[in-house]
Order: sequence, then C-alpha cells, then structure tokens
Amino acid sequence: MEKKPDTNQCIRGRHPNSVTVSASFLLHLSSVLGVAITYWVAQNFFFINLISNPTQTLILLWVVQSPILILLFSLLRQDPQQCSYWKAVGRGIIGLPIGALIMAFCGVMLGAPIGIQDLGKTVNWSLLMSLFTIVPTACVFGSSCKDWLRIFAHTEPGGVIDIIICVPSHGALLGAWFGAWPMPLDWERQWQEWPVCVSVGAVAGYLIGIVVSLGFVLVVGERRELVKEE
Amino acid sequence: MSSSSSSSSSSLTCGRLAIWTIIAVLLQILGLLLFVLGFFPVKPALSGVSGMESYRDPMSSSRKDQEQINHLSQNQLRSLYKDMSKISPTFDRLILMVVDGLPAEFVLGRGDRPPTKAMMEAMPYSQSLLSHGKAIGYHAKAAPPTVTMPRLKAMVSGAIGGFLDVAFNFNSQAFRDDNLLGQLYSIGWKMVMLGDETWIKLFPGLFTRHDGVSSFYVKDTVEVDHNVSRHLGAELTATDWDLLILHYLGLDHVGHIGGRSSILMIPKLKEMDEVIKKIHMSSDLPQDSSNGRTLLMVVSDHGMTENGNHGGSSYEETDSLALFIGIGSKLPDYALATRKTASQVDIAPTLALLFGVPIPKNNIGVLMSEAFDSLADDQKLRALELNSWQLLRLLQAQLPALSCSSYPCDDYDGAQCSGINACKVSIEQRFCCLFSKATTLHSSWTSQKHRTSRSNNSEDARSIVAAYNEFLRTSSEWLSRRATDKPPELLAPGIASMAVSCAMFLFILFCLCKEVYLKENQGLLDCSYKWHLDEVYALVVVVIFVFSMGSSSMVEEEQYIWHFLTSTLYLIFLRKSFQSPSPGAVPSMGNVIKRLKSSNHCPIYSIIFVLICGRILRGWHQGGVNWVHLPDISKWLEQTDPPTIQSFQIVSLLLIIGMSSFNLYLLEPKRRIVLVIQVSLFLSGFLLVMHIMEFQGTVFGQSNYSSTLIAQSIYATIIMTVIVTVLQAPWVTPVSVGDHQVNNESHLVNSASKDMEIRSLLPAVKYSLHLIGLTYTVCWCLLQLLLQQPVNAMPVLLLFFQILGSMFYFSNNETHSKHWVEVAALYFLGMAGHFGLGNSNTLATIDVAGAFIGISSHSTLLSGVLMFIITMASPMLFLLSLVFYISTKDAGYLLLSKNGDLGHLLQMMIGFPCLVPLALNSVMLTAFTIVLFAMRNHLFVWSVFSPKYLYVLATAVCVYVGVFIVAATGIYSCLVIFLRERTLRS
Repeated sequence: MEKKPDTNQCIRGRHPNSVTVSASFLLHLSSVLGVAITYWVAQNFFFINLISNPTQTLILLWVVQSPILILLFSLLRQDPQQCSYWKAVGRGIIGLPIGALIMAFCGVMLGAPIGIQDLGKTVNWSLLMSLFTIVPTACVFGSSCKDWLRIFAHTEPGGVIDIIICVPSHGALLGAWFGAWPMPLDWERQWQEWPVCVSVGAVAGYLIGIVVSLGFVLVVGERRELVKEE
Repeated sequence: MSSSSSSSSSSLTCGRLAIWTIIAVLLQILGLLLFVLGFFPVKPALSGVSGMESYRDPMSSSRKDQEQINHLSQNQLRSLYKDMSKISPTFDRLILMVVDGLPAEFVLGRGDRPPTKAMMEAMPYSQSLLSHGKAIGYHAKAAPPTVTMPRLKAMVSGAIGGFLDVAFNFNSQAFRDDNLLGQLYSIGWKMVMLGDETWIKLFPGLFTRHDGVSSFYVKDTVEVDHNVSRHLGAELTATDWDLLILHYLGLDHVGHIGGRSSILMIPKLKEMDEVIKKIHMSSDLPQDSSNGRTLLMVVSDHGMTENGNHGGSSYEETDSLALFIGIGSKLPDYALATRKTASQVDIAPTLALLFGVPIPKNNIGVLMSEAFDSLADDQKLRALELNSWQLLRLLQAQLPALSCSSYPCDDYDGAQCSGINACKVSIEQRFCCLFSKATTLHSSWTSQKHRTSRSNNSEDARSIVAAYNEFLRTSSEWLSRRATDKPPELLAPGIASMAVSCAMFLFILFCLCKEVYLKENQGLLDCSYKWHLDEVYALVVVVIFVFSMGSSSMVEEEQYIWHFLTSTLYLIFLRKSFQSPSPGAVPSMGNVIKRLKSSNHCPIYSIIFVLICGRILRGWHQGGVNWVHLPDISKWLEQTDPPTIQSFQIVSLLLIIGMSSFNLYLLEPKRRIVLVIQVSLFLSGFLLVMHIMEFQGTVFGQSNYSSTLIAQSIYATIIMTVIVTVLQAPWVTPVSVGDHQVNNESHLVNSASKDMEIRSLLPAVKYSLHLIGLTYTVCWCLLQLLLQQPVNAMPVLLLFFQILGSMFYFSNNETHSKHWVEVAALYFLGMAGHFGLGNSNTLATIDVAGAFIGISSHSTLLSGVLMFIITMASPMLFLLSLVFYISTKDAGYLLLSKNGDLGHLLQMMIGFPCLVPLALNSVMLTAFTIVLFAMRNHLFVWSVFSPKYLYVLATAVCVYVGVFIVAATGIYSCLVIFLRERTLRS
C-alpha cells in the first residue's frame, strides 16, 4: 500500500477532483478485459456459458468483476482527504447488495419472473446490474445525495469522473431494457429465457457505454486543455 | 369577443376544436366502415333448413311443404326424400374418417408426380386401393382459415364462412346452420363419433355415442389416436349406427411438433393406413342386407406447411384430402384416379346426394361427378339438376335480379354462351343462360329418352353433364369469391380516410399543446422548449407499439409489451419525482430519507404502489398464446376451494367501497348528495355481497330467479346512482359569487374581472367533477365485480388502486408532467389492465358466461352489451377515471391563460382528456389497419391478425364512448355551474 499516494497522484493529475484521460482509459480497459477474460475462462475452463448455465456464469462474472470495479473506482473517490481508500472500498461493498435490491425491484416491476426457480437468476442478474450501475457511484460519491441525483435523476454529468461513471451505467440500463425485447417472440430459443438476453443486453450496453464515455472524456479533456492554455 | 382580442395569436377556440375533432371522428368511423366491409365481407346466407323444396324447380314457386314436414316421422321423411330425389341410394352407411392435418400430397402426390417412395410405402393398403380402382382420391382445396373448426363446418355445410362468422361463433358453439349431419339426423340416422371433441361441441346431442378427445395436449401424438382406435373393433361389428365419424388428431400433432418430415410422420401414416385397412376389410366382407353397403370416406380438414403449421392459404395448407373408398372407380389407371382436384365444400353436396338427403341450403360446392359414375345416366343427371337448383336458389338470394323465368334465355345457343365472357353481359344473364341451356338440354333429353337408341343417349348425356358442370362451376366460383373477395375500391378509401383522420387528430393535439404550453412557458419566463424524458418516452411507446404490431408473436403476446412499456413509463415518473428540487440546503442520504418520510414525498410511494399493483396484475393471468400454460395466480386460485375466491371477492369489494367512502369523506364541503352516493354505494355493496355469497358457488348458466333479481337490482342501483349524481352534482355544488370565497389560489386573483368570474367557477366545477368522476369509477368497478369471473375480483381492485395512486401522483404540484403525458399514462395503464384481466388477442378468452348475468330473457343485444362491458372493462375504467383526473388537476394550471370565457375553460379542462385518447387510438387503429392490409396473405392473418383487429375495433368503440362521456359530463357540469353563477350574480 505504499504505492497508494503514487497511484492517486498519477490518476488524479494536478486537480484533486479531476482524472486524466489516460487513467480513465486504463480503468475502462481493465473492466472490459475483466468481462472478456471472465467469459473466456468460463467458456474454456468451466465449460459454461450464459445460455447453458446462466446462473453460474453470472456468478462468475460478478464475483470476478466486483473486486476490479470496487478497487479501481475507490481510487477515484471524490473526497480523498476525508475518506480513506478502504472506506471507499467499504462503500462499494455495501453498495453492491443495496444496488442489487434496487435493480431486482426494477427488474421485477418490468416483468422479471418471481418464482423460486428463477430466484437465483434474478439475484445474480441484479448483482451484476448493481455492479455496473450503483457500485461505481457508491465508491466514488458515497452517500452524497446531490451527486446521486445529478447522475441518476438528472443525468447531467459534470466532469470526467461523472462521465466515466454515468455513461456506462446508463448504457447498461438501456442495454438491459432493450435486451428484454426478444423475450416474447416465439422463436423458442434458449437465449430468450430470463435472464440471458437481458444480461447480454446489459453487458453490451455497458461496453458501448464505455466506448461512448471514452469519447466524451476525450472531448472534455481537450476542452480542458484549451481552457488551461488560454 | 374577448377571446379574439386577447388571444389573437391562437386560432384554436373551443368551438373550432370541437368541430374539427368531431369531423375527424366521423372520418375515422367512415374509413373503418369501408375497410371492415371490404375486408370482412358478410355474405347474405339463407336461413332455415333444406326440405322437400330442394326437389322442386326453383322457378316454379310453390311453398307449402314446410308445414307438412313437421308432421312426418323420420322414416316417412326418409322414404319421401328417396321418392322425390329419384336417385337410388348406392350406400346405406357412411364412415367418415377425418385425419387432422393430412396433406393430400402424402397420399396422391403433387401435380403429375406420385407421392414419394417413403409415403407410398407408409400407406401400402390405400395405395393398392387406389391403383386397383377401388378408391377415388381428390385434392380437396380448403379455404382459409385452415384451422379445424371452420373446415369441419365447411365440410358438413358446403359453405365457406366469412371471418366474421368464425368470429361470432367463437368458443366452438353449436353449429346451427343447415348441414349434412342435421339432414341425416332428420331422416333418422344414428351417429357415433370418436375423436376430436370439436364435433361434439358443434353438434351437441346429435350423437348416440361419442368419445371425445381434446386437441389441447399438442405434445401427445399417441394417446389421442389410441383413444379413437380402441373403440374401432366394437363399433365396426355394431349395427346400430348409420354414420361413424372418426377424427384422428395425432397426425396434426406430429406436424406441430416436427413438421412434415418428422420422424414420427411415417409411423403415423402407417397407423392411419392400418385403420383404413381394418375398416375396409370389415365393411367389405359382410355385404348382407342387414348391414347394408358402407362407404368409407377419408378426408382431412387441412394440410400443413413444411414446419407443420396451418391456418394460412398456401398450397401446402389448403391441400386437403378427400378419398372415397368403396366407390368402384371406372378410371383405368392410377394416375387419373389421383390427380383430380375439387373443393373441400364439394364433399357436402356429394354426400347429401349419395345418401338421399337435401343439399344444405348454403352449400356452394359442386358434386364430385366420379362418385356418381356407377349410377345410370338419368340418375346422374338428376343429381346434377338437384345441385343446380340448390345453387340457383343461393344465387337468387345474393342476386335478387336473377329470375330466369322472365328472361328469354331460350334464344341463346352454345356459341353465344361461350362468348359471353367477352362481351359485357351482366352476371345475372350469364347464370341464367348457362342454367337454361343445361335444363333445356336435359328436358329435351328426358322426352327423347324413350324413343332413341341407347348409344346416342349417352352421347347426349355427356354434353348435358358438361353443360350442368359449366353452370355449377361458374356459380360455385362466383359464390366462393364473394365470400373471400377483398375489393380494393373499398379498402383503399377506407385506409386513406383513416390516415387523414389520424393526421387531423395529431395536428389538433399539436395545436392544443402549442397553445397551452407556450402560454405556460411565458408564465415561467422560459421560451426555449425542452423535451423531458417522459414526453419523449410517451412518444417512443407509440412508435414501438406500432412497429411491434407487425410481428405476429408480438400480437400474440401483447400483454408483455403493454406491461413493459407502462411500467417503464412509471419508472421514468419515479425518476422524475426524484428530480424535484430538494427543500433541504445540504442534501445527503440522511436528508433524502428524511424527505422520504415527510408527507410531501408521497408521490414516490404512490408510483411504487402503482408499479407493484401493475406487477401483480401481470402475474394474475399468464395470458398470450405461447406461455399460457405457465403457472399464474388465477390458475392457483382456481385450484383452491371456492371460499378462498369468495373471500378475495369480498375483500376487494370492501376495499373498493372503503376507499371510495374515505375519498368522499375527505371531500369538503359536505352536501347531501355525498350522503346519497355513500348510501347507494353501501346498498349496492350489500347486494353484491349477497350475490357473491349465495350464487357464486353455483354453476353459471343455471341462473335461478332470485340471482337474476339480485343482479338486476344491482344494475338498477348502480345506474340510478350514476344518473342522479351526474344530473344533480352540478346543481347542488356550492357556488360562490365574486370574491366571497377565499381559496388557496386567491392570491393569484389580480387580473381582469372576467378572469375572476371564471376563476370563481373553478372550485365548484372541480367539486362537481370530483363527485361525478369518483362515482363513475366506483360504479364501474362494482359493476365489474358483479360481471367478471370470480378470480378477477382482485384485479379489478388493483386497477382501482392504480387509478387512485396515479391520481395522487398527478395531483401533486411539484412533479407536474405535461398534461398529455399523464392522460397517455392513464390510457396505457388501461391497456395493460385489459390484459391483466385475462384478455388476450384470441377470441377464446372472451368471457361468455358473464354476459348472461341478470338477463331473464334471451336477448342478443343485452348480452352483447354485457360482453362488451366485461371485455373492455379496463380501458373503459381508465377513460371514465379521466373525469376524476380533470378534477384533481390544479386550478392554477387551468387558468394560466389571460382570456377567461367559458369556452376557454372547457378547452383547458377537457381538451387533453378527450383528444389524447382519441389520437392514441387513431394512431394505433390506423397503424394496425395498415398492418392487417399488408398481412392479408400472411400465414396468420386469420388466426392472429384478424381477431386482434376485432379487439382493436372494440377498443375504438370503447374510446368513442368513453370520450363522449367525459366530454358530455365536463360540458354539462360547466354549463350548469356557469348558469347558476349567472343567476346568482344577477
């Protein structure tokens, strides 16, 4: 943990509340790699995939992804002076089940099955969704209501941190929403079952959101450079 | 005058708005009528049953037989028919073997090609019968919809029903039209039925013995057929039947599971062949007089596609089989015996003539002449003549101008007749000409018969047969085209006028939005218009819905779409309600929790409440087509004992009455009418409890006198309550004059005196509309509790809760969405609730039993109205709740405008609640009409899209009625209060 001040320094740049473009790129790259490698491992070493064993694959995904995201986003915590790194990690760990509850509520309200046999699927799906949406925000902003409202109720991201949190999480939500559309079609494919296509949609939306957010970050970073030069 | 001066920019006054809306509605109705008439042709059908008049020339009019028939016994009738028909019956008994879904291609081959080797080997016995001239096979073309019940009806009645016939005879009710089975029954035939229970539903009480199997378990391919075959040995030795119907479902099920080339198909064909062999062996051997001669007829009701589906109009589906076994074919070779084509409806006249009964009245089929080859020439001609007479009668019903007796057809000779196609001769003349040519030849042949030699005779006879066949084919084709034709000259203007009216609605709505919100923005000093997420999403809902209707499985599973879209809209509302600026200075989690606890954040709870109610409604009925077997709450409830369901009903009833009484109790000031409403609600609630406790356990249909009486008194109470409330509420509402009443908005009163005058009306109008709206909603819910199935009591309560929750959220000032979004949200909730009450887009889910509650005498109109009320319960409930909704809106919003005449007030109040449902409905109606038109050759046009269209039509009617009620109530209340205020002032 001696490296902590260094990493902090290199990620945050000169301003305490700003993040460099390369840092956000690295962060996203690691989370994308996390998803990709987990899925590859699942397919090639455990011989499971989302369609044949949705529950196990989802468990693998969120178990592998949660340390990556929590540890990385905790580095970006908003108030490094008052809040230690491990406190931010703790916020992320607490945020995971609470976010899963919210996600499960939304999913069930939109029609997710609530039978006992679907319970495991729903729980693991909502944990994954929580990881993509709630956990980064919880790590970075903690219980600051203003920031939560800014990101989720108004969707008005201000700085680079806001963008790299807000855009992928909205991407995951939208992706999951669109992912539900093939479910009522009578193609009788296994991937139409809950929660396969919704999870695929969420992951796809998350990845697209990451790409889009990097684009935004680049634009914002350039603008900031311009401002600095002037 | 004031309106024109103060709002010169706005061209939309109340009167013009109303007039344009009415024009658009009328245009839409006109377009709908044109389209429906074009798409679902209703053919005039003859009523009654064919009797002895079938054996008389239709040109010589004498109608005295009908009374005589009633006096005759069955045996007398049989011999009478035999005498009059002058055709000696070839057979005494009939075995009708229906193999569900067997394509004729499997047995007869396609075109010139014989069936594939595998098929030939699968049915060795049938093939040997065909090649040895012991059987005649036909490709009998079936008409769409190629599903079992309409096809069975076509086979026995010879008529092609239009779609509306199919629709109006839903639930497989008894078949009442003239048909072969009825005719055979009337001459005393004993019938035995084994197999698909559709027959038993179609002909209840006709069979002396029956063993029905359900076609519900499509996965079962063995038991369904075993259940039929296990009786076969006993029935074949029995002598007490004249008609044996065997309906094998297994082959259709094999197709549904694995398609045409399923591995189960060959074994199933072998099994069918074994059955044919067994029957033929047993009926072949004892040719004694006691048993009589038996005709085995193997038919299929429809074919199947490669995938094993059916319903559409492709060759694979319409290619059904008609195989006569036992009629010695004179055809020399196999190829000729298998390449004949006919129409499925031809089976009815052929069998009727073979067995000596009159041809069913609405038959459009032509006898299959090879089946009569064994008869003498004169008998064969007589059969053709009888068929021609019957078709001529049907033609006369459709073409009243057709009366050949007056027309000088005798002058025509063959050359002219054949040339008639080219020249413009009316269709009546053409039929007359063909008919009289055949009859003239026939009569001259009959008179010559005794004089000339035999060989010459048969030469002439062949030409007469040809002449008759020409007439029969022409008229049959014309008649069947009449039944399925879709004239573009009706469809195109229909669609066009619907599209125009849809555009008009959208334009009017757009104008209204512009007017209202520009003013509002002026007030808020914010001119640039910013779209909110909920507004964008409400539009997206419409677009998504329109596109999803193009997919047949989305139509089948529409309940998912509505629930998903509506819940998402409410989740967006939830997000929006978090957006409201927080009162606290330092926002933190603790603060949010504090705010959630405080009372002014109830909107969040109310939305969550609406969402949860919606989810329970979604789980109540699984609905749809593909996943209907999955467990849901209603199935679970139906398995429990009746007291559980009864307690659910009572709880729902008590909660509805309790909630509404509480709402009335909160209403200030108290007037006597509130008490009256309260008392009548309690009274109808009490009556409902009586009805539930006493009569719900008994079987529907066995409605006794007292249950009818109670139901009628509930109707009376509810109707009286509504009428009294609507008529009286505006009169007893406290009306204030001028500034006497100090209300919450009084600090805003600082503009012109005209404005004040209208402003002082507002509390009174709101009060009266609140009363009326609440009464509408509660009474509709109580009516539904009486009419709906017992398991639907809880969903009705949940719908009521959804209304209350939504009203609570909308009435909150902080989170004001746009007016039209809120009305649209209510409309969407209504559509989602429609499916929550167990409806689907198939006609099978219509609750017919409820339509007879409280009706003492049979009345089609009243039952129809009740059925409409039950089916359209939820959309109507939400439309009626719009009156309630108007009253909950904040008065400050209504009077943002500076000009304050009565018309403007009306426009502000009822403009959106009326226009938004109309516009939404018109978009969906027009879109689905275009979808239906585009899908007219689609596989599922009859099974999926057309039933859905009937629901769309019903929704349109529902919206018209609902909007009319909302508008009329609003206008009446405003006018009365305006007048009272005037009189008070003067």
